[in-house]
Amino acid sequence: MTVLIKRSMLAALAATFMAGSAIAAEVKSIAILTPQEGTDFGWNQQGIDAAKAAAKAAGIEVTVASGLGYGDVRPTLREIAADGASLIIAHASGYATSAPEIAEETQVPVAIVDSPKALKAGLVADYTLSGHEGAYLAGRVAAKMSRSKHVGIVVSGEPPSWNSQSAGFAQGVKAENPDVKITYAVIGPAAYSDAAGGRRVTESVIGAGADIIFGQGNGSSFGMLQAVETSKAADGGKVLFIDVIGDKTSVGKGHLLSSVVWDITPVYSAMIKDLKDGTFGTKRYAISLADNSVKLLKTDQIPDNVWGEAQKIREQMISGEIKLQPVFEATAVRALMTNVSAAAAK
Amino acid sequence: MGGFASDTFLAALLFGAVTAAIPLLLAGLGEQMSEKAGVLNIGIEGMMITGAYLGFVSAYYSGSFWLGFLTGAAGGVAVAALMALLCVRIGLNQIVIGIALTLGLEGLTALLHHFQFSRSYPRLPAAEVTPIPLLADIPVLGSALFRHHLIVYLAVAMVVVMIWVYRRTQFGINLQAAGDKPAALDVAGIDVIRTRTAAVLFTGGMAGLGGAYLANVGAGLFIPFITNGAGFLGIVLAMLARGQPVWVLVGALVFGGCLSMTTAAQVAGVNIPTDVIQMLPFLAVMAMLVLFGRRASLPAALGIPYERGAR
Repeated sequence: MTVLIKRSMLAALAATFMAGSAIAAEVKSIAILTPQEGTDFGWNQQGIDAAKAAAKAAGIEVTVASGLGYGDVRPTLREIAADGASLIIAHASGYATSAPEIAEETQVPVAIVDSPKALKAGLVADYTLSGHEGAYLAGRVAAKMSRSKHVGIVVSGEPPSWNSQSAGFAQGVKAENPDVKITYAVIGPAAYSDAAGGRRVTESVIGAGADIIFGQGNGSSFGMLQAVETSKAADGGKVLFIDVIGDKTSVGKGHLLSSVVWDITPVYSAMIKDLKDGTFGTKRYAISLADNSVKLLKTDQIPDNVWGEAQKIREQMISGEIKLQPVFEATAVRALMTNVSAAAAK
Repeated sequence: MGGFASDTFLAALLFGAVTAAIPLLLAGLGEQMSEKAGVLNIGIEGMMITGAYLGFVSAYYSGSFWLGFLTGAAGGVAVAALMALLCVRIGLNQIVIGIALTLGLEGLTALLHHFQFSRSYPRLPAAEVTPIPLLADIPVLGSALFRHHLIVYLAVAMVVVMIWVYRRTQFGINLQAAGDKPAALDVAGIDVIRTRTAAVLFTGGMAGLGGAYLANVGAGLFIPFITNGAGFLGIVLAMLARGQPVWVLVGALVFGGCLSMTTAAQVAGVNIPTDVIQMLPFLAVMAMLVLFGRRASLPAALGIPYERGAR
């Protein structure tokens, strides 16, 4: 009986070792699929740039399929899998259903966003990223700088990544000054390319009294930028804009206050490493202030003293003195807008 | 002084409602003529995106909004000419060609934007407004309704023009016949193909103008897919309007008004899910369909290519 148990345990250990070996893989190339071209100063551009950087660092090939839209990308996924990609990064929440299906079909690992429950060892990883720490810092800066003590948040949709940033921004504002009013408005359901809607809604929020706009919108964010450039605040002064993910300094025309800039390179590098180690699909990936994968953009619009104070807050967040939990649900975000507890982030 | 229910906020909301309604009005009036003549112009979204792109490019390089509008309308006409050739002259399926044109032109304009503007995202200055004397001085309503670019007043005036065309001109009667009984029109010695072609070209011009307005005045810039389905909403409005231009205007204003209402509800902090608020414009259109669309009668030959002697 004892011999039998020992043999069984040895067999189990051997099976575990062999299984681990089977999952671990040689990584020759990665591919990234994006809904829009990689020139949006935002989500698509950061994703493509990061994939190229991670591939270069790992010494592997990268394939970019951009501008695929939000429709069915299964044919593209199959084609890329057939071309021999070791990992396919499906860089849009709209691809989170089709990509795992193709992963099952082709056995090529995929990385998806906004589906944290879809993890599957060796096959499906999720990288629902949250820049909430950076958004919190942006909120602190906005509250310090708002002349009207009224700021706005305008979004063109409510995916989890943006919800967490909207919540982070609101918490930052209230932590800095509980008396600052926050107005939150959604342009429309998945209005990512609705630039006219972005402008219209932003102008209304400015009309309601906001003089700093925190905007999340992909293409529609250019409409928001247009609104802040062509509108006056209630005091007749300049309206400022805080962007997310990318750096629009070169097109900001002096109205860009800051941006919560993401660097997704460490995330993709970690995925490549996990594929090699055989641990892909067993954990989620994150970006943070600590490794500079999330950071607040310094522009000429931010006075040095405000920037210095923001950096001190950043240090407090990294050290754990200020703790912040991401909020991903839209209903929870909406509740925060009218009743944000400053204590929650202190 | 800002704040919810402040004059500034209410004016911004109403101004936004009008701005959102104008592209729909132009597209809807254009589509209405096409449908009257028996051509279901599904390609109107493609005509709008073409007008948006060309209108923006023209206005950006020339500095003239008017040249932008003109170029946008011309772009829409050019696409419509292709539609007329394939669907009216050759008699290909109007739905298939319309969808193909839309998808193709969305892709083409996105590609052109990528090469031209994707590193700079240029934007136009705010459009000059033409205040209507006396009316523009009315509190809230004045700045919301009577301080717009001249093209807005012309778009509204087009409703009157279209009513006159449909009721008082031979061309209007010909259009109706081309959509209802094209064979009878043919027997009367009027060229059905020419009548339908003229209607489709007019649709293209109006849709292109609507696209140019959307890009140049509504957004102040062009980005890929900027029309965001406005052309399809124009088709819905044209169908709801039962051939009456004034109902296109009402539908466009209701839709634009509802869009502003969704913003107002959010700014007011109405504690209901955003998705529910966002449904408001579409619910309003569906309600209009139920209330007024039941008696809608579309032209008998709508969508059917005309071929002399065919049964």
